Order: sequence, then structure tokens, then C-alpha cells
Amino acid sequence: MTQDTLGRIVATEPGDGHIRVASLLGTQTLTLRELYRRSGRVARWLTGQGVRPGDRIGILAANSLEWVLLDLAALRLKAETAGFEPGKFAPTGDLIRRYGIRLLFTDRPAEAPGAVPIGEVTEVSQRADLDGVPLRPVTWGPKDVTTVKFTSGSTGEPKGLGATAGSIDSSLRAVQQIFEHGPGDDLFVFLPLSLLQQRYWIYSALLHGHDVTVSTYEAAFAALRRVRPTVVMGVPAFYETAKRQIEARMRRAGDGQTVGQAARAVFGDRIRYLWTGSAPAASSMLRFFTEAGLPIYEGYGLNETCIVTKNHPKAHRDGSVGQVLPGKEVLIGEDGVVSVRSEHPVNDHYAYCRPGDSERVFGPDGTVRTGDLGYLDEDGFLFIRGRADDVIVLDNGKKVIVRPIEEDMKADPAIAECVLFCPGQTELVAVVSPAAEPADEKAIAARLALTNAVRAADERIGRAIVADPPFSIDNGLLTSQYKPKRGRILDVYHDAVHDPEEGIHAV
Amino acid sequence: MLSESTLPELETAAREQLAAVLTHHIAPTALDLDADMAGSYALTSLNKVLFLTELCEATGVDLAHFTEDDLDRMRSLRDVVEALAPHSTKGS
Repeated sequence: MTQDTLGRIVATEPGDGHIRVASLLGTQTLTLRELYRRSGRVARWLTGQGVRPGDRIGILAANSLEWVLLDLAALRLKAETAGFEPGKFAPTGDLIRRYGIRLLFTDRPAEAPGAVPIGEVTEVSQRADLDGVPLRPVTWGPKDVTTVKFTSGSTGEPKGLGATAGSIDSSLRAVQQIFEHGPGDDLFVFLPLSLLQQRYWIYSALLHGHDVTVSTYEAAFAALRRVRPTVVMGVPAFYETAKRQIEARMRRAGDGQTVGQAARAVFGDRIRYLWTGSAPAASSMLRFFTEAGLPIYEGYGLNETCIVTKNHPKAHRDGSVGQVLPGKEVLIGEDGVVSVRSEHPVNDHYAYCRPGDSERVFGPDGTVRTGDLGYLDEDGFLFIRGRADDVIVLDNGKKVIVRPIEEDMKADPAIAECVLFCPGQTELVAVVSPAAEPADEKAIAARLALTNAVRAADERIGRAIVADPPFSIDNGLLTSQYKPKRGRILDVYHDAVHDPEEGIHAV
Repeated sequence: MLSESTLPELETAAREQLAAVLTHHIAPTALDLDADMAGSYALTSLNKVLFLTELCEATGVDLAHFTEDDLDRMRSLRDVVEALAPHSTKGS
């Protein structure tokens, strides 16, 4: 089944199209044919280094041409890759041993046996003498694992998951069916290539003959203006940042600049659409870009499921994360929890995890229990209401989904974060991280009243504790993804949350 | 060599651009030149990238003068001003 996707990538010279690799130093452009040729040289060199089908190579580096070449070379050898995000992992001997890495390519200083400076790949890829050595043809079966991807878990050791060729094939086909990427498109990637989905857009370029730009994180905004992509692959936090920048540009320009003009100054003037996923997007942000003439499409998926649903130009609905893609099935349990069944599952277990983690998430047939609460409307659009973990069950048996209430609080400019607790099963207590210091308690009290005004009695917040200092990564109350750590926050504010006298009281 | 007027102009531009990317309101003049931008002003890595991109554009500095590691070393507004100053051709 993968002969039309991964099979073609490894065995067939690609058509027209270019890859651009952007860093702060500038942009390097190669034809996709040249990329293919160079990846073949790297594959032959890896063979000479003893890398065989089934072996695993590690890549711990910022986005670069070498990253792309190693990934493609591994596919052509039927070797596995393990992409490690710099900053989250260090290139140590322990890492190499733990994940069974034959060679670890890195752009960080490393002395561990098996660690190779990624710069060596640059030199190898330009060695024409490697062109004559034949490469043994490979076939990727649906259940073969191409790569190990790691969850960006908020605590503890990241879980590792082997991604099957069948799941990649299925996702590439489904996305192409709805977005029809092709000549004239340039897909912009700046999130780490260690995230498998970011590599999909390189595979897509090789399959469908469009351009792709891979940027370092640091060069993202500068590169956007230089390369003028047609599609940007981002996450909500990126678009929130871009939105603020567009608004700041408009303020500086006065009445002379429309939102569309300011948006094009940031994203370039060729945007066909913006892709977002991985985390819930605020409706205000989605509306902003759509009204600016840059349609933005939210989707839904986890590492364990790959892309499950996606809004797209031909089928999108406000507030939803889109319709279910071909090859996927969304099941809503009696408890409202979303499970996902795939024709070709990413896998049916983690390769690296704590005991019991696989059984908690994967069913025997690979069905994934997501832990998210959601529902499908009559037209098959999926709506996500929150995490099952975010449900508070009151003593009257009523379930309160806290995310929409927290989102309402967070919509206030005075509030950066809000998490809800229910210390006595009788009253909701918010811990609010202020957006500025000193906290604007008047604004927080006003928002509390506003949030409560539109809610049923059980969903009203009784008190708001103002965090001092605000949540931060440094004080351990935010994850590296800037998500609040509920358990830790409750530990720190336990006394205040449980003391009925504390905080700003609702009136 | 820097002209005597370059640094103050660059500092003003840096203060304005930093204030523009922060998620909470703070007056450009109230920013502490020596404060750690991530710790004191909750400047995320992405906002830092945006801040430096915009500042370079506003002051005519080619971002290509710097490496990803150079950016990492710019922790305070003073670090930023001093790093950009040798390359600046104009103020804000």
C-alpha cells in the first residue's frame, strides 16, 4: 500500500520543485532532484558506516538540510530514525544506549562514542564519487516502523512511539486529498523536524512536485517575508504571536494600513491557507486571520493517532476541528471521551514508556483513547470540549467541564492563565495568573462576574486566588509548552484554595 | 566606529519593539535594560525571535550578522543593543 507514497519517495527521482533551507545566515535552495541525489550519497555513506536495514540512527539537531538528507537517506536504506529535539535531549552515551542508536548525528558538542557531528553529512552529500555505488531497493510494509517519535509530555521522561509506514502513507494521502498541494505551492516548516508531521511536508513536496521551505525556529519570521510561502504549518501559540504583531503594526501605521496589508507584511503576499493543530486554538485568533484574508484551518490529532480530523477549504465549521479523514474513525464513548480507530494505526503500543502507559492509551486493535471530551455534529464535524482530566464531578453528581470556563477567564487582558479547582466538591475556586504585575484585581473581579453571569449555578466560580508571582516555567508552574501544571499549582496554592476566606470573592 | 547618536536611537528602538511583543502592557521607558527578558518580562522564545526580527528590520541591521547561538546569548535589552550596534545603519 505504501508504494505510491514512501515507495515512490525512496525509489523514484522526484519531479520539479525546490527545497529552501532558511537560517539566520540566509536561504539555500536546491532542486528536489538534487536533494534526492544527495540523499542517495548519504545513504551509501551510511551503509559504509555499517548502517543496515532495521538499524536506528538518531538526529539531535536544529532544522537543517543535513536533517532532511539523513531522514531521506534512512528511508532509502530502510533504517529507522529517532528525532530528538535539542534542549529536551542531550547527545550523551546514555541517550545512545537507551534508544539503541547506531549513530547519533548532532549539531551540539558531543564526545559520546557513536555521536557524529552533523556537519560531516554536508561534506558526504557533495561527494560525487558516491553516485556510482548501487543502493539495494527497499520496500516499506504497512507495519514497518520508519521512525520513533517522542511525546512532548509535560512531566517525566518522554514516551517514545514507533510510527508505522502505513500510518504515514494514510495521512499523506488523506491530507493531499483535501488540500491538493501541487506546483506553485511552497509549504513553510519551522517547527522541529523531530516532529514527524513536519517531515510530511517534505515527503509531500517529493510526491507532488511543490516547493517546501524548512526554516530554523530563530529565522522563522525573517524567512516568511523572504520566501513568501503559500502555506504555513504552525501551532496556535505561533499564530497568537503573529496576530499580536500584526495588530502592533497596524497601531504603528495608524489608519493607513488594513489588517490584510499588515498580515501580508508578516506572512508574505502568497498565503493560500494557514495550518494549525497540536493544541486548541482560540476562536478569536481563527476569526482574526480569516477576516484578514488568510484562511486558517484547525485540525485534531495526537502523536498516537496522527491527523484525525481537519477543517479545509471545502469543509469547515466554526468551533469544530473538522471532519474525520479517510482511514480514521472517531468513536465517542458513553463518558463523552473521544477514541480513534485507524485503518492503519500509528502503532498499538509505546516503544518506550512507564509500565501500564501503553495499556491505558491503546486498545488491542490500536484504538487510541485520547482522553479528550468531544462530540460529532450531524454532518460529522468533531467538536472538542476539553480533556477528560479537566472534568470536575460535584457532590451533586453534576460534571463540570472546566476548560470553557477557564477560557472565558483567560479572555481578559488582565489574566494570563486560569485553572479551576473544586476543593470541597461544592464551590469552584480559580487560581489566576495575572498578565502583569502588580495584578489588576479590579479587572479580575470584573471578569469573574462576567464569566459567572452566563453560567448555571454549578459552573460559577466562587473565588479567585491571584497567583503571586505569576505562573512561569522558571517557578515550575508552567510546562515548557507554557501550559499550566495543575497538580503543582494546587500544591503551591493548597492553603489558599482550601481557605474560604482567601481570594477575590464573586458577588 | 559608532556615532554617539547611534546607541540611544538603537536603545529607543529596542525598547519599543520589545514592548510591542510582550503579552502584557509595559511602557517602553519602564523596561530595565539589564533585566533578563525571559525571566522578568516572560518573553517566550518565539516572541524573542519576533522582537529581534522586527528590531533588525526597523534599524537596518541584517539578521544574517548573527547565528542562532548569538541570539541565544542575547538575554537582556543591553545585550541586544550592544550586539546590534556595530551593524546599525540607522535608528528607529
